[in-house]
Amino acid sequence: MGFLTPWFLGGLALLSVPVFVHLLRRHVAIPRPVSSLMFFERGIQSSTRHHRLKHLVLLALRCALVLLVVLAFANPFVHRVAANTNSRLLLIVLDNSFSMRAGTRFADARQQALAKLAAKQPSQKAQIMSLGGQLQILTQPIFDAAQMRSALESVQPGDGHASYGELGHALRAVAENVHTPIDVHLYSDMQRSAMPANFADLVLPANVTLDLHSVAGKIATPNWTIESIDAPAELSDPKDPHRSRVRAVVAGFGTQAASKTVSLVVNGKTISTRKVEVPANGRATVEFAPLDVNYGFNRCEVRVEGGDALPADDSMVFAVRRSDPQRVLFVHASGDTRSPVYFGSALKAAAKSSFVLQSVSQEQTTNLDPSHFAFVVLSDSAGLPAIFEHTLAQYVARGGNVFIALGTSAARRARIPVWDANVADAHDYVRLSGAATIGEVDFTHPALLDAQPGRNNGGWAEAKVFYAAVVDPRGARIAARLSDGTPLLLDKQVGQGHVLLLTTGLENLTNDVPLHPVFVAFADRVARYLSGSERLSGSRLVDAYVQLRAPADSTSGQGSVEVIGPDSRRPLSLSEAKTAQTLRLEQAGVYQIRLANGRDMLIGVNPDRRESDLQPIADDVQRLWSGSGSSVASQTEAGSTHQESYRPVSLWWYVMLLAFITALAEIAFASRYMSTQREEI
Amino acid sequence: MQRFLDPTVLAGISSLDLVAKTVVDGFVAGLHRSPDFGFSQEFAEYRAYTPGDDLRHVDWNLFARTERCYLKRYRGETNSQLTVLLDASNSMEYSSGPPKKMDYARFVAASLFYLALHNQRDAAGLIVFDEQVRDIVRPSTRPGQLGRLFAALERAEPHARTDFAKPLHHFQELLHRRGIAIVISDFYEDPESIVRTIEPLRYRGNEVVLFHILDPQEIRPLLKSSAILVDLETDHKIEVVPEYARTSYRAKIDAHVEHLRSRTRAAGMDYQLLVTDQPLDSALRQYLALRKERN
Repeated sequence: MGFLTPWFLGGLALLSVPVFVHLLRRHVAIPRPVSSLMFFERGIQSSTRHHRLKHLVLLALRCALVLLVVLAFANPFVHRVAANTNSRLLLIVLDNSFSMRAGTRFADARQQALAKLAAKQPSQKAQIMSLGGQLQILTQPIFDAAQMRSALESVQPGDGHASYGELGHALRAVAENVHTPIDVHLYSDMQRSAMPANFADLVLPANVTLDLHSVAGKIATPNWTIESIDAPAELSDPKDPHRSRVRAVVAGFGTQAASKTVSLVVNGKTISTRKVEVPANGRATVEFAPLDVNYGFNRCEVRVEGGDALPADDSMVFAVRRSDPQRVLFVHASGDTRSPVYFGSALKAAAKSSFVLQSVSQEQTTNLDPSHFAFVVLSDSAGLPAIFEHTLAQYVARGGNVFIALGTSAARRARIPVWDANVADAHDYVRLSGAATIGEVDFTHPALLDAQPGRNNGGWAEAKVFYAAVVDPRGARIAARLSDGTPLLLDKQVGQGHVLLLTTGLENLTNDVPLHPVFVAFADRVARYLSGSERLSGSRLVDAYVQLRAPADSTSGQGSVEVIGPDSRRPLSLSEAKTAQTLRLEQAGVYQIRLANGRDMLIGVNPDRRESDLQPIADDVQRLWSGSGSSVASQTEAGSTHQESYRPVSLWWYVMLLAFITALAEIAFASRYMSTQREEI
Repeated sequence: MQRFLDPTVLAGISSLDLVAKTVVDGFVAGLHRSPDFGFSQEFAEYRAYTPGDDLRHVDWNLFARTERCYLKRYRGETNSQLTVLLDASNSMEYSSGPPKKMDYARFVAASLFYLALHNQRDAAGLIVFDEQVRDIVRPSTRPGQLGRLFAALERAEPHARTDFAKPLHHFQELLHRRGIAIVISDFYEDPESIVRTIEPLRYRGNEVVLFHILDPQEIRPLLKSSAILVDLETDHKIEVVPEYARTSYRAKIDAHVEHLRSRTRAAGMDYQLLVTDQPLDSALRQYLALRKERN
């Protein structure tokens, strides 16, 4: 023990003050008048003794107060061991990603983690996490080894894709909250594909040391997999040579050239088998056509013959829904004959027999029920009958979708049906500058989806727009803009449905878009987006999300959703089924879902194929990663490995707290003493 | 109106005559229920007429009914003389709370004066003394006598110390006519000495009453801890402990009161202990009882 500021001990001279007050200064009592002292007698002896007793207690308290205040200023401290083993947090991270299913990797990793936990000292805190599709905290920092052991044993190999970048981010967050040194032990197969693009995402804080425990060998294990599948989610004509086919890519990771047998299984029955030559460490494509499936949902699977380290990725599941061609209601102005021709032709060219266009003029819509159609197109239909407009609004509110194209009549009748906004203005580019081009296209929008758009703006740059209405875009997502910034394509959710608004026409008078090839793809994507049929089947990746109900629907009290997972269990509780808006697809397999609006859904869920690449991280990269956090700390600790380092711990707060308590006691005693003098006045 | 106002309430009334009127009116209103006391002339007896008797005293109503001549005799109305001897020494200044002993003594005296002059038509006088006679208002029934007495009471501020022996001869000169002499004091002296000094007042046929005024704190003092006490008359100081005040002092003051009471009565005088937190009616009742005995 010592003092950080010992010169303040000179203040101990102040102890003479209470001594002076109590011993040298005589007590002065205030006399109390009485009528006569005739019957009183002197009682000095007992009174003096009583006062002295009180004085001594008060003197002791006052001396202690002065002493404590002086000590507090002198700032006493004690030495403590800076950081021993017990003060370090042991953080065990167990990888349970999809690749850990290979061989005995997961069992080995868990065994090692349990051994590490068993070797922990009882007085050391530890925490358990699992690294799968997302990092899960299984326990808080605790001492209870039994609870942590139970947590470790409860971890099962998952289907998610691990990311060491996410682990690095989580460790940095933990290090901000835990100020003691953290020993992280990661039990993983050290898969190279789990590394982030930027190594900076892996850098650890200074108080974190990372021990990597690889359960994979140094050499990549050969693994075959179905890397991807191109299959229709919706099929109306099995004989359609363009759509009725399944194209699968077989990939080999760390493999020699081999001949593999690939099978297509529909509803548990193998309907086709192909032999394919896969080059060494390469890919091969195999195609199954035609795809003969039954009406309704069909569970399909493409398998490659096994015999590798990870059999779980030898197949890929997907769902195909066969249905009759869906009708599309196309409402146009009575004088407009071009737009149904252009849009119908494009739809026929793109989607073949998936959609059938039913074209009617706006005056003929009075008795039509939009709910009988996959979606509704309003082409320059400013003067819809009121009864149909009302029916259409209800249709959209219940989840129906409408595509509106504003033609030249938009300027005359400002109100846009269903859209709940008016046309603010109209730009006639012919009079201004000849024509406007399409300057900005959001290729992530489902109606414009294009994974790799070309240099000419995905083909949209060549199109010209001569006339466009100006619409207030508030509440809507702008999918495309003209070169002058005027919104061209807007998407707004109305009720549970979507309204897609094109601020120009579908004919070749207001623009020349229908004359370009991009219009065919556009019509196809619009039809598939608005019909919603694409979303009801097909395949997804593990950890993707499925929207179960519209956001506005969560409080409307509409029916609950029903989800049956690949293991035939219901992942949602009853309360979650009534309120959940989205579902995270955690398991690989086929999910059977009934949405809140009553539509059924069957989707195949497959693990991320990056997990199939079992190539481990290079040793130098592992060393670099594990040394990133503790390099500085290890240098400083190197010289004192066997010496206990001490750090001073200030006792200032404790001394001040004691002084405060003493002051309160002094006040209490002093007030009692003073009240003795006052009450006799 | 409350019958007997609390002394603390009376202490808040600045006008002495209002205090006296309030006390006496309340006291008299209470007496109407009592058969023991009366103020007007009272019937005494019938006596047979003898020649030479004054015909004005014949009861003609009785004569008309019985044809016998009887004289109706009344108890003769006699006027008493009330003299209050008020101790105005410094010890009367003591108070543990309103009123002071001096104020209480003033209230008692004023109420007696009001009762005597206003209700009984008695002559009333006042002698204020400490170690000597400081003020004298001779007994009288003249108009304005009440005002003079009240003014003298107002002037009687505590001063000096008590000494009954020195002003005694003045008392005897002043009390040359028979009457009631009321001594109001805290009597902080030896009871033998007090009685020996005051007893001569009886020799001329006076009825002497001692009103012993004490504060509640003087009878039952409360000391939480030891304290220095100062004598108001002598300025002497002593340190006293609470144990003594709780035990020995109380025994001594009780013995003093009892001794004074017994000695006073043994000497043919009356004694009344008045505590300043009690109503004044006991003093007035004592006065009326004495007056009745005299008549």
